[in-house]
Amino acid sequence: MLVPFNYYTVPPRQRALANPKHRPCSAPLPLERRAIHRANGMEMVAVKDSAISENGTERTLYPYVTGTSVIGMKYKDGVILAADMGGSYGSTLRYKSVERIKHIGKHSLLGASGEISDFQEILRYLDELILYDNMWDDGNSLGPKEVHNYLTRVMYNRRNKFNPLWNSLVLGGVKNGQKYLGMVGMIGTHFEDNHVATGFGNHLARPILRAEWREDLSFEEAVKLLEKCLLVLLYRDRSAINKFQIAKITEEGVTISQPYALKTYWGFSAFQNPSKGVEGSW
Amino acid sequence: MDIDLSAPHSMGTTIIGVTYNGGVVLGADSRTSTGMYVANRASDKITQLTDNVYICRSGSAADSQVISDYVRYFLHQHTIQLGQPATVKVAANLVRLLSYQNKNMLQMGVIVGGWDKYEGGQIYSVPLGGTILKQPFAIGGSGSAYLYGFFDQAWKEGMSKDEAEKLVVKAVSLAIARDGASGGVVRTVTINADGVTKNFYTGDSLPLWHEELEPHNSLLDILLASGSPEPMST
Repeated sequence: MLVPFNYYTVPPRQRALANPKHRPCSAPLPLERRAIHRANGMEMVAVKDSAISENGTERTLYPYVTGTSVIGMKYKDGVILAADMGGSYGSTLRYKSVERIKHIGKHSLLGASGEISDFQEILRYLDELILYDNMWDDGNSLGPKEVHNYLTRVMYNRRNKFNPLWNSLVLGGVKNGQKYLGMVGMIGTHFEDNHVATGFGNHLARPILRAEWREDLSFEEAVKLLEKCLLVLLYRDRSAINKFQIAKITEEGVTISQPYALKTYWGFSAFQNPSKGVEGSW
Repeated sequence: MDIDLSAPHSMGTTIIGVTYNGGVVLGADSRTSTGMYVANRASDKITQLTDNVYICRSGSAADSQVISDYVRYFLHQHTIQLGQPATVKVAANLVRLLSYQNKNMLQMGVIVGGWDKYEGGQIYSVPLGGTILKQPFAIGGSGSAYLYGFFDQAWKEGMSKDEAEKLVVKAVSLAIARDGASGGVVRTVTINADGVTKNFYTGDSLPLWHEELEPHNSLLDILLASGSPEPMST
């Protein structure tokens, strides 16, 4: 299934474009500008756009501390999610113990990529949602389908106000024997599937999952398949780090693993001496 | 080339917060710049929020000062209502709240550190955007770019107070050596069960790094000391 999702790069500073036609949205030119001198004394107008336009509304411009891919899939006993523990700050791998998979209520797991502060805010919203649900004290509890729908509404409404929560979310869960796995993007795109991935995972992990996923994977097989994907992401995604958490949810409950690292393989003979015979090439 | 004196005051900075066995040590440089000009060479970037919680500020001087003022005000009221000292977690989360809700307007990254009787010494990082992360140690500001490798190698769990303080001073001084936006003196604040200790390390008490020379009062002193008749070459 085609997902209209962009993998974005995070520029440290955005240049303001004077021509309104080229600006990312049709908001009027901001009033505030701050000029910062370059080290060599030349005056470069590297501006930080104020997000306050003339009519006083605000919008999130770009993410600062970001998480990379999350991958998830259904397996025999429930749903399993995996993500690394990195929080990148532009190209710096700044934080290395960020938990990007959290459990929501009794029946759901939420994994997020994108801006970590927005993910932390979403967790607060969900905390309140679950609290109010528990306060009814009626024996019912919100299942993954309901939580997914709530998140979809939140994300889409924010997008309509040009102030998105800059995240891609993976929501998995089991209720009454029914397994559920869904995704919501920052513009409100949402869908359900047997296996999902965010960010780079869309390009690198999903082809593997499409080829090798089956309905009746055991826990061990599912972990092995996820690790195959995680390894590819580690090799090929610049913002991935070698520290992962795998989380599973079954009818019995939630388990989030301790952080762990994977062994990487560098022993291909082609890696040994690639410049041999063609000095100066790579 | 005229220096732009109306450029906003920014604290290209080095800030550090480190937990040790019994409390925390916060450290910072002291340079505040307005464009290329050093507006204040002895600023105090470690600001008090409560008796037991301090904040290291980096980024826009104005933004971080005003947020600190608001948080100090809220914490003061909170302490009165609670009847006991505020916890570090509450202080850090108040900073996060203001940072996150005003993320489009603010340009500041801070480190909140302190000691309370429930959790002991704690360090919370609140970077651009308003993420909050509890960490055993944290670095921030423009000078921190030069310290990631240093801390990866030098940090260890369960240090003593002296080891932690030495580590912080060494780190800030290394960052000052390479970051044009950091400079001046190294200020530290140590917070533990016994209270708060503030320290101040000037350039002459810090070690010299690569290509840095021993400072003298004048060339004349060097010439006199060497005593050779033809000290200067043509």
